[in-house]
Amino acid sequence: MDKIIGLLEKYFPMYLEGLWGTLWLSAVTVVLGTVLGMFVALLRMGKVKVFKWIADAYIEVLRGTPTLLQLYFFWIGLPKLLPFLSLSDTACILVAMTVNASAYISEIIRAGIGAVDRGQWEAARSIGLSETHVMTHVILPQAVKNILPALCNEFISTIKGTSLASVFFVGELMTAYKTVASATFLQMQSLLIAGVIYFTITFTLSKLLKLLERRLTVSD
Amino acid sequence: MTDNNIILRTENLHKSFGKLEVLKGISTAIHKGEVVSIIGPSGGGKSTFLRCLNLLEEPTDGKVYFKEQDITDRKGSIAKFRQSIGMVFQNFNVFPNMTVLDNVILAPTLEKKVPKAQAREEAMALLTRVGLADKADEYPRKLSGGQKQRLAIVRAMAMHPEVMLFDEPTSALDPEMVKEVLSVIEDLTRSGMTVLIVTHEMGFAREVSDRVLFICDGVIKEEGGPDQIFTCPRDPATIKFLSMVL
Repeated sequence: MDKIIGLLEKYFPMYLEGLWGTLWLSAVTVVLGTVLGMFVALLRMGKVKVFKWIADAYIEVLRGTPTLLQLYFFWIGLPKLLPFLSLSDTACILVAMTVNASAYISEIIRAGIGAVDRGQWEAARSIGLSETHVMTHVILPQAVKNILPALCNEFISTIKGTSLASVFFVGELMTAYKTVASATFLQMQSLLIAGVIYFTITFTLSKLLKLLERRLTVSD
Repeated sequence: MTDNNIILRTENLHKSFGKLEVLKGISTAIHKGEVVSIIGPSGGGKSTFLRCLNLLEEPTDGKVYFKEQDITDRKGSIAKFRQSIGMVFQNFNVFPNMTVLDNVILAPTLEKKVPKAQAREEAMALLTRVGLADKADEYPRKLSGGQKQRLAIVRAMAMHPEVMLFDEPTSALDPEMVKEVLSVIEDLTRSGMTVLIVTHEMGFAREVSDRVLFICDGVIKEEGGPDQIFTCPRDPATIKFLSMVL
């Protein structure tokens, strides 16, 4: 126990920095992933068959291969593809995480839109709204209620998922653990600290999510 | 055929869902100012026919003309035509994410670019007409079924449609609310609105209609004036149906 306290006294700022890295990486991943995921979901629900197939394949491949493999893929591939950008490791990992999240998020969005009553589409069309306005003014505002809680869940699982990025030492919480562990040789103690931090964050967020869900259903 | 008084016309309309053929060739014309009731047994194709008229269902074969323009040819924007063809649904389908007033002004402001103030004024006039003016700022969840349906009617009317389609507008209502909705529809017919109504309210159909279509097994089995249809139906299917519902 006093070893842990000792660790905290010395390395707490490093853990904090790691936590900041984790939260930052997760938040950006979910935000960009939502934008990309929305695009994929719209392609998938659209009328153009070719786009539908492409979107389907995109989702299947990303869900059917390990996230770690995808991280390697972008980490190796992106600098080769775009050498003139001289992308940092973090940038490559961020792109990989975003692409990965977009596949899951596009399914969340599709399900959320699919859960809106068919009659709402019909009514919106029957008064002569353009397909775009049907979506932006009638369907999406209602779908958001279904999408938001699932999106928060995605954020929570992304927080845990970013730990994979420590393989590339991009400075999130798991990287902090690795650094502390190799500096002090206190493997278990330094790991426990990281674990407690992860748990505190995800537990708090999932409790907040419960509150949000209750608020959303009240307004129905 | 260039009768200027024809608002909607169908030519040999067919609709199949997979192997099930629901409409087996319906040809009819609806004239300006006419009130036409569509009656018939469940599953006979009444609602499908109505929903083909604004292409909520795409006909498998045949044509729909709005004022002699083919709307099934997929050339023009169907949204434009739908602005002139109001529709009221069995399940109201009011938009729960916006207030009563916003339900009404949504389409006029978005698609017809009516200035907000003017759209509001017109909407309030319509809401007053159906007794919903005091609910303008409420959300639909606070409304009763009858109020929701009156709102749905106003929402359609706000686009100044040339014809109104009613798809069993009172079937989902509690009995005590049927009357308030029917009286709004009756009010519309008196103002000269062209109306097509699929209904199980036989008394109402008889009272307000100029013409009654009896649709059964995907075809118009019989049509005529309300008195003829309800007092001396000729087709055996009509006779059987009326003997069961009257």
